[in-house]
Amino acid sequence: MTDLPNLDFPPPPEVEIWKLTKHFGAFTALDDVSFKIDPGSFHALLGENGAGKSTLVKCLMGSYRADGGSILIDGKETVITSPRQAQQQGLGMVYQHFTLIPSMTVAENLILGEPDLPQVMNWAKARASLTAFMAKMPFKLDLDRLVSSLSAGEKQKLEILKQLRLGSRFLILDEPTSVLTPDEADQILGLMRRLTDEKRISVVLISHKLREVESYADEVTVLRQGKHAGQGRVAELNRSDMVRMMVGDEPSTTSSTRDTAGNGAVVLALQGLGVENDKGLPAVRSLDLAVRSGEIVGIAGISGNGQTELVEVLAGQRALLAGALEVSGKPYYRTRSEMRTHRVKLLPEAPLQNACVRGMSVAENLSLRLYDEPPMSLAGFWLNRAAMRDRASKLIGQFRIKTQGPDAPIETLSGGNVQRTVLARELADGAALLIVQNPCFGLDLKAVAEIRQRILDTRNAGGAVLLLSEDLDEIMELSDRILVMSEGQIVYETTRAAAKVQDIGHHMAKRDI
Amino acid sequence: MNSSGLLSSAEAVTINVAAFAFTMAIFGVYVAALGHNPVDVYYVLYLGSFARQISIESTLTNAAPLMLTALCTAIPARAGLLVIGGEGALVVGGVATVLAGVALGDAPFLPGVAMMCLAGALAGGTWIGLVGALRQYRGVNETISSLLLNYIAIALMYHLITGPIRDWERVLKTSSWSIPESLRVGEMEFIGVHWGLAAGVSVCLILYVIMRRTTFGFGVDILGGNPRAAQMAGLPINRMVILCCFIGGAMAGIGGAFEVMAVHGFASESLAVGFGYAGILVAFLSRQNPAAIIVLAILLGGITASGGLLQRRFDLPDATTQVLQGLLFMVVLASNAAYGRLSVFQPASWRTA
Amino acid sequence: MDAGDISWWSVLIAVIGGAIRVSTPYLFVSLGETLTEKSGRVNLGLEGVLVVGAMSGYATAVLTGEPWLGVLVAGLAGAALSLVHALVCSLPRVNDIAVGISLFIFGTGLAFFLGKPFINPSAPRLPDIDFAWWSSSPQVQSALKINILFIAGFILALFMAWALKTTRWGLMLRTVGDSEEAAKALGYNILRVRMLGTVAGGFLAGVGGSYLSLYFPGTWNEGLSSGQGLMAVALVIFARWDPVRCFYASLLFGGATALGPALQTVGITTNYYLYGAAPYFLTLAVLIYSSSPQKALEGAPGEVSINR
Repeated sequence: MTDLPNLDFPPPPEVEIWKLTKHFGAFTALDDVSFKIDPGSFHALLGENGAGKSTLVKCLMGSYRADGGSILIDGKETVITSPRQAQQQGLGMVYQHFTLIPSMTVAENLILGEPDLPQVMNWAKARASLTAFMAKMPFKLDLDRLVSSLSAGEKQKLEILKQLRLGSRFLILDEPTSVLTPDEADQILGLMRRLTDEKRISVVLISHKLREVESYADEVTVLRQGKHAGQGRVAELNRSDMVRMMVGDEPSTTSSTRDTAGNGAVVLALQGLGVENDKGLPAVRSLDLAVRSGEIVGIAGISGNGQTELVEVLAGQRALLAGALEVSGKPYYRTRSEMRTHRVKLLPEAPLQNACVRGMSVAENLSLRLYDEPPMSLAGFWLNRAAMRDRASKLIGQFRIKTQGPDAPIETLSGGNVQRTVLARELADGAALLIVQNPCFGLDLKAVAEIRQRILDTRNAGGAVLLLSEDLDEIMELSDRILVMSEGQIVYETTRAAAKVQDIGHHMAKRDI
Repeated sequence: MNSSGLLSSAEAVTINVAAFAFTMAIFGVYVAALGHNPVDVYYVLYLGSFARQISIESTLTNAAPLMLTALCTAIPARAGLLVIGGEGALVVGGVATVLAGVALGDAPFLPGVAMMCLAGALAGGTWIGLVGALRQYRGVNETISSLLLNYIAIALMYHLITGPIRDWERVLKTSSWSIPESLRVGEMEFIGVHWGLAAGVSVCLILYVIMRRTTFGFGVDILGGNPRAAQMAGLPINRMVILCCFIGGAMAGIGGAFEVMAVHGFASESLAVGFGYAGILVAFLSRQNPAAIIVLAILLGGITASGGLLQRRFDLPDATTQVLQGLLFMVVLASNAAYGRLSVFQPASWRTA
Repeated sequence: MDAGDISWWSVLIAVIGGAIRVSTPYLFVSLGETLTEKSGRVNLGLEGVLVVGAMSGYATAVLTGEPWLGVLVAGLAGAALSLVHALVCSLPRVNDIAVGISLFIFGTGLAFFLGKPFINPSAPRLPDIDFAWWSSSPQVQSALKINILFIAGFILALFMAWALKTTRWGLMLRTVGDSEEAAKALGYNILRVRMLGTVAGGFLAGVGGSYLSLYFPGTWNEGLSSGQGLMAVALVIFARWDPVRCFYASLLFGGATALGPALQTVGITTNYYLYGAAPYFLTLAVLIYSSSPQKALEGAPGEVSINR
């Protein structure tokens, strides 16, 4: 790595969080949490989705006002009411969703955050100062490039550069690596680590990836259901200690009786598939893929490598630009009648946005596939809403959807129950082809186990399953065959038995080679 | 209808009534500022719209085209499109009706009228169907294209009535040829309002049933609620959008047909007097519900009808009713913010699920 | 060279002259709409704002005899009306396009209402500068009488292009229009920036309206505007949200509008109304050409709803 920049900052502050509490209505997101971050330390904040990590840092950054407790900076109690004020204290946050402005250049994005932006910019001077700043940085970006043309890794770097440029000495990284290749992640975290080693900055890393915590953090604080669930020096903890703190004493259930798979007929066949993303750039490129009945094919990959576009094409939500798409040996145009004949079912990510109608009730959402069939309609024309509701009540029981009833609007359900609703709709009458993307994102462990079991059941009943997931553990646990997708292509294939995490990780990262 | 449906209807009614009251209050301040007694103005509004047989008839005569043009916004809106081309669809519908009527000559009454309605509906439907097609196949924003088509429709009408189909014998007013007297539609037996009202009320009710009780309506609601879910369900989205636009346009076209058959007898600038724009307001007020359109079109028709009386009694310009309509529209849009805020209409238990 | 050639030559001059004369309202409204859309909102109500501007400017000029005061009042009236749009759109779950339509109805209604007494009296016109001292041709002379507002609009377009890149305000506006998330992270007050963008846009549209009533055609009546305020929205898409391109696009649209009258001057009166519809056809053609079913419009601010 290049020489570390000489950052002429004052030393990082000592930040102490004391008995912090935050309620949202009746829900307690953060319950009496205390811990301290020493100057120059690399502190990991670990926890499952919904454990309160984001709430905590938002309180710290002034986006939320805590209901109780306090924040001490260098021993002084400090009330932070806005991100701007946090900035003045030297606290900076690199958000999970990029906060860059896509239509602006790197230079404009770097300048924008500056607190004392003059009314009229002197661009000559600003550019000179930015060039000088960039020269001192370990990673370089062309100042004139538009942000919309940067890769995810480059955007992440720009976010960090922005914070360093602002003089933040206490950086909060919110799951910074979720959109990066392992190489990019190592590069960025490695740099952060060296900056902390030299006591130039403190870092709080929000993550649920144990590998990153083990490799880079000094200390770890674990949150579970809004409560402080444990903490310690990383060197003194082993992996199972951290897992126990994260998930409690409940064992992480892995079920699955695996049938031997892989000799069934080809159900889904893709040849030379080409798809563009929203910006008109190629997202999937001449991709070949076959899924047989009775097998789960897992596609691993860093998000943003064409997985979403692939699922959208299969769902009929995106145009196919090139190639052939066949289901059960016949060309597949993604019409309603084909979906029904071939029993093609889908469980896309973000089901509320992709697979549900917000304004409709649970019963109506459960009927999306079959409303024009008897008994829910007469002659394919006249709706029978009573039959719709009856069937919904049955499915609600069967799939244990937590709702006030079939008439409750779908938006009132929790994320896990929306997922169950879609699952119920898609799997109620079985599936010959099931396409699943990130099915367990953000769900609690019980729901995860149940959903995974249903996917396995579908496979065991002879269905062909295509599983796309960013969670490598999930891929390893469920798949019979594992593919790796990178830059819109399948770059690696292996069987479950021969799969090695290192190999898969290496191929996921392949894009820069 | 299930309980949640009833609750949300009650919510809509309450909010709309409050919005109407609020609008009237602002309007009262406005006329007071101009030196009129608001109470007198309210009374004249009532006199001119609902107080007497003659004002009711005038109100209902105005309401008929409003119902039909409101559908031109409401039906596409259910599929998720904001179409504001009712004015243009009414005009092309009217012109097509004239052409059909002249071509039919001495056809028998009922088939003749049916053919003229059909011509109006086809012209209006194609006009707005084009908007839907441009949207689906070319990604052209439907609001802007339908608005442009309003201006184009009016220009086309002027082009035709000043040249190719001009009735040169009518000197006082530039107009097209007239349809045969034998094909003129008269008033209904029991009230002095032409048959367009019956047509408007019937199509509103029919479309209400279609949208609420048939698989087509359910499919459109899926599409309007979330196009991605509709794609995932494999619905023929392009066809559905274009069909909804066609239906909407066809209704406004029928509105134009009745304006010609029952009111004017020919096409002239009197076709483009803002029924299309007021129809947008009716559609928004009714929250795209065809049954509610009937009631709200009558309300808006009343406001329009009282314009003349306001002019005579207080010397208020005829634009007064337009000010009131614009104001009401804005307040109703602002009142959207209130939905879901009134705890009476929120079954509290749902939120905890 | 025969007589036919000469008449086509004069049509061309008339179109160019007409383009300069007619384009000014397009220019001001499209610059205003650009400001508004750069902040992330669409104001379809600028048609209403334009008409209110025309009416109030004319009324002021009639009452005071000062046309420039009329321009100022027109701008202020436009700003005030747009403030209503901005305020209503600041409420949750309110569709800015629908509010624009309501403002369109309300604004034109208000202008016709309040402007009724001013249909007959005549107001002093805005002055123009004669750029045709070198030519003896009356057609060229009439084509090159250029109003100061046209020149001001041109300078304004250049200024806006500069300001959007170089001033703190411009960067802030673009940030808010492009990514709410980013604007929030930077601590910008999104509603306030949008409010200012909309109000400033309304001011410009109001000034554009005063040109209609105080210079060309230079009267006040209910048929004064023929949808320039609405077409400006399409024009902004055509210009890809770039102020300098707005200037060129306005000239083009002005030329299209001037086509019918220009043909009339050489005696071609048939199809007058069809030529009159040229700008609408042009706008529609431009939209069909520049839209795409797959992609977002190029250059569109990320938060603008016209972009779907």
